[in-house]
Amino acid sequence: MDRVTQSCMVYTDEAPEGVSDAVKTALKPFEVKWSVHPEHPTFGGHGGWPGCLVSNEDWPKVFAALKDEANFEYLVDHTAVDYPDRKPERFTVLGLAQNLETQERLMVRTRVAEGGAVPTLTHLWMSADWAERETFDMFGIRFAGHPELTRIYMPQDFDGWPLRRDFPMQGHNRFRD
Amino acid sequence: MSEVTQTEMSDLMEASGSSECSILLSTVRAVSSWSRKNSMWPLPLGLSCCGIEFMATAMSRYDMARFGMEVARFSPRQADLLLVAGTLTYKMAQVMTRLYDQMAEPKWVISMGACASSGGMYRSYSVVQGIDEFVPVDFYISGCPPRPDSVLNVLMKLQDKIDRDNTYNLTLETPEPGAAAPLEEQTVLGGRRHGPPIALATAGERFVKPGPQRSMARGVKPEETR
Repeated sequence: MDRVTQSCMVYTDEAPEGVSDAVKTALKPFEVKWSVHPEHPTFGGHGGWPGCLVSNEDWPKVFAALKDEANFEYLVDHTAVDYPDRKPERFTVLGLAQNLETQERLMVRTRVAEGGAVPTLTHLWMSADWAERETFDMFGIRFAGHPELTRIYMPQDFDGWPLRRDFPMQGHNRFRD
Repeated sequence: MSEVTQTEMSDLMEASGSSECSILLSTVRAVSSWSRKNSMWPLPLGLSCCGIEFMATAMSRYDMARFGMEVARFSPRQADLLLVAGTLTYKMAQVMTRLYDQMAEPKWVISMGACASSGGMYRSYSVVQGIDEFVPVDFYISGCPPRPDSVLNVLMKLQDKIDRDNTYNLTLETPEPGAAAPLEEQTVLGGRRHGPPIALATAGERFVKPGPQRSMARGVKPEETR
């Protein structure tokens, strides 16, 4: 099976269908690329949620604007994807925010290179604390400004980042055969 | 208690001039083994579905109490038998090693089920491929999970082993002053804890992970974690 090393997403300047005016207004000050899946253009992204790509500096500001102006008060998910062949920014960090009244969701992406850092979201959502620690634990992506960025699942002395695609499935264990 | 034969007992009765014997002769080892095997207090380390089967073993349908084992202790200080039931991850292995170190001698370990014995179907970076990487195991139980009768079978086998066992002698010799300690102190592979490291009294060198020991401090810098 070929491993997925490149994102298939296409990025445009036009907001896809289904993005509310409140979101468009909130994101006006930022340079935002809207993501479109080539086979499902109306979805605007994987999983049926509109998605957008922002820069590292805008990452916390976009979420702050969504939270304060568009009432996206809930951080649903926070994770990352590894595309090992994409240069120079290998990782895509994802945050999924939701408006609990309208049930609208927006998946915000940013890209970061290996060894790079993304600003933290812990000042916006307490729940981002453990989520970012998990992303750090699994991918080795740092989050600048995080109060305590240590491994959360794996032992502190664990060697490697398990969800990177170049990490061996069985880890560095010596297996007895 | 088979140290004194029937003939020897008859001779003793004759020599005492009475047909009623009020003295029962045995050895300290036999008595201590007998009391140990019939008052086994397990520390159940139920890590996954094997823990449910162990609960079934302890409950009234299978009734582990028939063998003097009904007192499941959740403090290692009061337990004789560490029963590891389920999938052991490396993170939990540190906790298990610490629990084992806190148990008083004599102590025994049973590895219950495929996961505890060999990692089972989890051939993965996070799962210990057999708990004997960390603690010495007396018995392995096969099954995924094992049925309660398998557990009872092994518990009875363990009782036989303790009855036969001469590993733990009862000599109460005090070490000579100035004698070298039998085992050098090692840092426990414990989980997060506070306070100074605890010295291992019993764990041999082979059960201590080679290489530098972990730092327990939270707030390890990310670059040091790598």
